[in-house]
Amino acid sequence: MTDAVRGEPPVEMIGVNKWFGAFHVLKDIDLRVREGERIVVCGPSGSGKSTMIRCINQLERHQEGTIRVHGRAYGRDLRENDAIRREIGMVFQSFNLFPHLSVLDNCTFALTWVKHLPKKEAEDRAMEMLTRVRIPEQAGKYPLQLSGGQQQRVAIARALCAQPKIMLFDEPTSSLDPEMINEVLDAMVELAESGMTMIVVTHEMGFARKVADRVIFMDQGEIVEEAPPAQFFDAPRFDRTRLFLSQVL
Amino acid sequence: MDEVLSRDSAAVEQLPAEIFKPKPARAAPPSTLGVQGWVRQNMFSSIPNALVTVLGIWIVYAFFDTILTWAVGNAVWEAENRRQCLDLVGRSGACWPGVIAWIPNLIYGLYPKDQVWRINLAGVILLLWALPLWLPRVQSKVQIGLSLVLLFPLLASYLFLGGEKGVIWSALIALGLAGFLWTLLTAATETISGLSFGRYAVAAIGFGGDNDPARRNGQIAALLALYVVALIAVQAMSLSFVATRAWGGLFLTLVISGIGIAFSLPAGIVLALGRRSRMPLISMLSTTFIELFRSVPLITILFTFNTMLPLFLPVGVEVNQLLRAIVAVCLFSSAYMAEVIRGGLQAIPRGQYEAASAMGLGFWQSTGLVIMPQALKIMIPTIVGNFIGLFKDTTLVSIVGLFDLLSMSRAVGEDTRWLGLFLEPFFFITMIYFVVCFTMSQYSLNLEQRLSAGERR
Ligand SMILES: Nc1ncnc2c1ncn2[C@@H]1O[C@H](COP(=O)(O)OP(=O)(O)OP(=O)(O)O)[C@@H](O)[C@H]1O
Ligand SMILES: [Mg+2]
Repeated sequence: MTDAVRGEPPVEMIGVNKWFGAFHVLKDIDLRVREGERIVVCGPSGSGKSTMIRCINQLERHQEGTIRVHGRAYGRDLRENDAIRREIGMVFQSFNLFPHLSVLDNCTFALTWVKHLPKKEAEDRAMEMLTRVRIPEQAGKYPLQLSGGQQQRVAIARALCAQPKIMLFDEPTSSLDPEMINEVLDAMVELAESGMTMIVVTHEMGFARKVADRVIFMDQGEIVEEAPPAQFFDAPRFDRTRLFLSQVL
Repeated sequence: MDEVLSRDSAAVEQLPAEIFKPKPARAAPPSTLGVQGWVRQNMFSSIPNALVTVLGIWIVYAFFDTILTWAVGNAVWEAENRRQCLDLVGRSGACWPGVIAWIPNLIYGLYPKDQVWRINLAGVILLLWALPLWLPRVQSKVQIGLSLVLLFPLLASYLFLGGEKGVIWSALIALGLAGFLWTLLTAATETISGLSFGRYAVAAIGFGGDNDPARRNGQIAALLALYVVALIAVQAMSLSFVATRAWGGLFLTLVISGIGIAFSLPAGIVLALGRRSRMPLISMLSTTFIELFRSVPLITILFTFNTMLPLFLPVGVEVNQLLRAIVAVCLFSSAYMAEVIRGGLQAIPRGQYEAASAMGLGFWQSTGLVIMPQALKIMIPTIVGNFIGLFKDTTLVSIVGLFDLLSMSRAVGEDTRWLGLFLEPFFFITMIYFVVCFTMSQYSLNLEQRLSAGERR
């Protein structure tokens, strides 16, 4: 990894703190993501992983600190916030496809209603992305007619349609049956190889070892340790990390 | 990559694999198939089941036999008055001539006979206006639906009421007529060419390319021309005034419930969103409104509006009695509809909002395009149930002196010729209520099945 950063970093979190009521979920989070970098976030349940990446596209609002996306900080201006989050695609644990729309319409949705592309152009791009995740033949079906793995690949294609610069994944394989995990991971590996900036919350340590540039370990709302995968898995610095790794590996 | 992603393959490749052959499927035993199989399995599977079946059939038979003997078998179809009926068959058969003589009143109330065509015309317009919504090649369904809900009432109120029309009133009626003409024309041009009326008109005259600003202006000109035609037609129309006191029967029932239905759905949506709003004032106002109107019987609201409203209005301002009843029904049904829709909204998982806002959709877009369609869809049975309830509840307006279908049917027995003839008119309007409500509920089932076609797993 070179330290040379071209222009503004895709994501920059500086001193971010967040509370749910009195509960301090995120404590002084500092994170700087480089262009094209793949980051895997892991940690025990309730450690604040989801909350952290959801702050990056402001599904959760933080109370202290600054979050910048390509140099633009989230603030009070809701339109500006919406504009910033359009740079970011997100894939959820529970897919969150729109069940009342066909697979194709799910993919063209943002193109039609946010980017106002003509129908033909939107559908062409949607088919291109569905082909990329290897399910173009399912375009006419409805989400609930697909298997979990297929739904999650549609969700990836849907996020890619808007041509985001950054992709967030929140445990994309955690609600899948074991046979379907690989087809989703394959799509994510392909995406990583294409140079997308990715932040992935996952317990798939094989994926982290193979794809990540950096692994981040969180506990109790803090970033405990961050290191390249080789170092992270083979020589973790903190006892907390070692304990966690001994449980998941 | 392969090493990572095929974690479990190592264990499988040890022994030469045996080949798995699935057993061929056999046909089901014949006693479980077909009508006979179904009857045997479901109606005569055990002795108690068979007894219940026989008893049930006997009850149904006895019930329909009694009713049909009275309504058809022993019925009198021609008579001058009730005395003649009673002389012929006594009370063992129905006396239909009274009902037949009263049918015009049961349907149109005391609306002048020579003006009844106006109501029929409005009915035909309504059907024609709604028809394109079911035509497969018509694309502007949303616009047509909206124009129907917003503009049809303008045209219909003039047809029903008639009388003097000032400048503003004429302009509004013309808007209604223009909306109707636009719907017919658009349905026609979209069926022929896939273009809406405005575009078709421009294309027919032959304006320049797609991005030519003249095109847009041409479309506006076409719509304006349509409006002018409507305006001239409205100016030429002159209908005599019919006071709402003369409205009655099925016509009045349909007017009140139609307005109630058309109003309560959008108002219910607004109230439900208001109640869920994060702005405390809006949420408090909506909640108060909903809870207030839901905790009071409709009769009370009708009474209150009828007797108390004039007290709040300045002296001399007279609000039409029908209007008071309609306002009461609308407010009452919106409060109920709001709760139905809120139930639907609550059933939509949070992830749907999150997915929409992660795409950069704002609140109104997420609500209108993602959340509301799903919420309305799961609530179709309850929404239609509410419509049916509303349709039947309009019978209560009789207590504030309006002659809806029910009170009209009571008037038959007070006619000197048919004195005491109550059962037959009741039977007749029961049939009308049944047909209307049953149609609505069947349509809702059908709609539900069509809309959920994509969601079967
Ligand atoms: N909306 C909320 N309101 C209150 N507390 C919340 C909310 N969302 C999350 N929390 C709490 O914040 C903490 C962190 O939650 P978060 O979902 O970020 O954890 P996580 O690391 O993603 O865990 P998991 O692996 O279970 O997904 C948890 O203790 C959770 O209970
Ligand atoms: Mg989580």
